[in-house]
Amino acid sequence: MTALPTHHPDPDMLLGYAGGGLREAKAAFVATHLAFCPACRSVVAGFEAHCGRLLEALPEAGTGTGTGTGGGGGAGGSRLDAMLDRVLALLDEAAPEPAPAGPAPAGDVPLPLRGWRGFPCGERAWNWIAPGVALSEWTVEAAGTRACLLRMEPGAPVPAHRHTAEELLLVLTGSFVDEYGTYGLGDVAAYRGGTEHHAAGGPDATCVCLFMLDGDIVFLG
Amino acid sequence: MDEGSGLEGMAAPGGEENTAPAGGGLEGLIAAVARDRDRAAFTELFRYFAPRVEAYCLRLGASRQVAEETVQEAMLAVWRRAHQFDPAIAPAAAWVFAIARNGFIDRIRREARPEPDPEDPLFRRPPQGTPEEAAVEEQSRRFLLSAIETLPPDQSEILRLSYFEWRSHSEVAEVLGIPLGTVKTRIRLALTRLRRTIGETA
Repeated sequence: MTALPTHHPDPDMLLGYAGGGLREAKAAFVATHLAFCPACRSVVAGFEAHCGRLLEALPEAGTGTGTGTGGGGGAGGSRLDAMLDRVLALLDEAAPEPAPAGPAPAGDVPLPLRGWRGFPCGERAWNWIAPGVALSEWTVEAAGTRACLLRMEPGAPVPAHRHTAEELLLVLTGSFVDEYGTYGLGDVAAYRGGTEHHAAGGPDATCVCLFMLDGDIVFLG
Repeated sequence: MDEGSGLEGMAAPGGEENTAPAGGGLEGLIAAVARDRDRAAFTELFRYFAPRVEAYCLRLGASRQVAEETVQEAMLAVWRRAHQFDPAIAPAAAWVFAIARNGFIDRIRREARPEPDPEDPLFRRPPQGTPEEAAVEEQSRRFLLSAIETLPPDQSEILRLSYFEWRSHSEVAEVLGIPLGTVKTRIRLALTRLRRTIGETA
């Protein structure tokens, strides 16, 4: 049995995911880590519980910051009654909903990545950028974030590159190393823009990572 | 009777904790919906949550119409998914929050909400041999929740604006009338504290 992840996303990402402000590509990144990581699931659940309390406090929370005061933020009485009547009229058609079943397991790609925006679970097409290092042809661009796969053969170093925004890696198979440590299944590495880092495939097997980047990247090699 | 009186009847502005249903509480009402398709229980849930979900959408910048549509959809989802609710995994308000959040993301951003699936064979659980898994996860969740709720008020206020209301750092600075640098410092302090908590949990 493989160990649980030891390199986690920044709390900023976990809270952004729990609150919902994090956009879709990064949310897919976090959710994939969560599939591997019970500890981070607890963080997200803890912040969601906090958000539940904030939700409960809302109508009274009109004072202070934010929009509206007093009842201004909530639904007024007769309007609420009308909304309730509309919803009650729809209940008969609203049958209990089974939990949605995701795509069947394929290889070692967990939900929700499996089935997300054409994510390739089987055959993958690669563009080699250096000996033993490739980026997938599958690429998603969404809300300023680019997602693709990074593949590293054992020991192969990622060529020097420059990026202005944060770069994120999440290990899906194998492992890789950099100057900060070793990253195995489900581990996350985050590199701030403008920082030096040297990732290379781990010793044993081909490493495939989910790779996300805001902004541009330039390979210098 | 002025226009606000109906609202007061259902959500008593200014009251402290007198607005949540007594007895089995919100959890009991959801269970009644799941078990008996109980419309009276659903009506109570609606009167409690609908104004709150609407206020939430308005906080996030929705128009009145989008907010109403999100409320209607979220409350129908409460009816349809009541049998999926498990109080050991999330309190009632957190469960409704997640439904409303996801509905709002779908409606306002036209984006999917990727989530892991506990039924997925690849979903990883803590090693066998530990005490019952749900209990351990619930304990860590409570630990984190209490860490958030014992943050100094100026830090928790900033977390609320940033992560619950999706505001950028500069919007937070404007709302609170404090320098951008102070916003960043307080967020960093709050997150550092939570990261320490996480380190103790993991």
